[in-house]
Amino acid sequence: MGTIAVAQRILLELVHRRRSLILWAVFPAFILLLNATILEERAQLSRAEAYQLATPITIVGAALFFSCLGGSIATVVAEREQKTIKRLFLSPLTGLSYFLGIFLAHSAIGIGQTLVILAIALFFGAEFTGSFFLSVIIIALSILSYVGTGFVLGTQIAKRTEDVNALIATFGVPLLLLGGSFVPANLFPQSLKDLAFWNPVFHINEALAGTMNDTPWEEVSYHFTFLVIFALVMVLGGWLSYNRMLNRERSL
Amino acid sequence: MLKLEGISKKFNDRQVLSDLNLTIELATVYGLLGPNGAGKTTAINIICNLLKPDRGLVLFNDRPITNQTKALIGVAPQQNLLYQTLTCGENLRFFGKIYGISGKKLSQRVEECLELVGLTDRVNSPAETLSGGMQRRLSMAIALIHQPKLIILDEPTTGLDLEARYQMWEVIRHLQRSGTTILITTHLLDEVERLCHKIGILQQGKLVAEGTLAQLRQRIQAKEIITIQSPQEQAVIDRGKSLGLVSRHYGEATSFWIPELLDLKQILEYFDGIAIDGISRHPVSLEHIYLEVMGYI
Repeated sequence: MGTIAVAQRILLELVHRRRSLILWAVFPAFILLLNATILEERAQLSRAEAYQLATPITIVGAALFFSCLGGSIATVVAEREQKTIKRLFLSPLTGLSYFLGIFLAHSAIGIGQTLVILAIALFFGAEFTGSFFLSVIIIALSILSYVGTGFVLGTQIAKRTEDVNALIATFGVPLLLLGGSFVPANLFPQSLKDLAFWNPVFHINEALAGTMNDTPWEEVSYHFTFLVIFALVMVLGGWLSYNRMLNRERSL
Repeated sequence: MLKLEGISKKFNDRQVLSDLNLTIELATVYGLLGPNGAGKTTAINIICNLLKPDRGLVLFNDRPITNQTKALIGVAPQQNLLYQTLTCGENLRFFGKIYGISGKKLSQRVEECLELVGLTDRVNSPAETLSGGMQRRLSMAIALIHQPKLIILDEPTTGLDLEARYQMWEVIRHLQRSGTTILITTHLLDEVERLCHKIGILQQGKLVAEGTLAQLRQRIQAKEIITIQSPQEQAVIDRGKSLGLVSRHYGEATSFWIPELLDLKQILEYFDGIAIDGISRHPVSLEHIYLEVMGYI
């Protein structure tokens, strides 16, 4: 009940801020159009192939990154800044319900963005022959990882809404670039490829791109395993961070 | 009944609460007074199970306060703490759901709470569009949504205009009449006088006085207090002393505790021969008691 209530509340706040809602839909569409155009021109691909390649990295590497990681940091920080979190401390809502509520709300936003991206890609003739089920699992794990990371950053580092922008600009954008979300990783020089190996966004991108485009499992499994471990670590990290914040701020 | 038994709490080297014992009877209003830093908010945090005391026990209806008993308590904190973009109805529905209320019962509670605090016509107004007084009332409605047995109101009318204060007092009286136990912390002594059945005064973490207003009045051996405004203030003080009256300076001029009710002629006779600009007579109020207990004068 608490989980659903938290998720509904976040979505309701988003609906009230209509402009943000529209922008969350427009942003991934722009990224997809740009990524696909670059790929089509520079890699000499057909339009359908370009959209096929651009879609997975746009979903997990760009859209979900900003909405789920940036969004969950913003949710937690706004709650701390407005101090409404103190009202939640007074209620029987558990930390787990709160986390799951944020996860659920951002999953809904992420699913919406995924549908927008897929609709555009399908419109331009892209075909995805990989496992639908595994793709959904990868998207869910990505959201879980991003929300977990958002909890760590939102409870430990960002204190004000302005900090969210600074954090995303400092850590988020380089991670996205290095993850191949804008420029395909196979175009990187070797030194950046070596660095990208340690970047979770790279593995998330590779796992979904491989799965949606029916790459053999042997080539995807490594990235998938990395993603599973990363998601577990981030959820645990998020949980511990939330509890630390709870001990620090649990008073009126 | 809410019972605090021997509560002590230390932050680093600072003793914030020291062996605090306090009992609030069911369906009564208890006013907890004290200056900033006296330990009022720490006491509230402990009652709400947000802080653990170093020593002592908090019992509500003979059950220890735990996370499981949080639903028994409703709190309207000093700051309103509302979701600003949500409407009044949405704020209430959200908190109702957090407390496990749903369906028709939730809709009914939202209506009842809005009606109680006089915000029925603002059900669809975003919280950010409400005036300060209305936000305060919405905060109160949120504290009531789950029908708590104990309500804690931290500075419930601070910053409100007179009309809004009167409305808030009416809500508090209504809640008490309907059987809710209420703990109020405030700096506004007239509010405590009007609303509270029992009053406790905290100073440096210790309960230095407790009782009904009538009981606390006994701390001042006077039927009334007179204030004399005179250009010959020292002469007034000396005359009072010679008459065996206790003198105090409550800010504006010299005042005396008068053990028996006197008429104006008798008062004038007391200060015969001294130039008097004005005489005012006051009943013994909580303000006098508070200043006495705190040793401010």
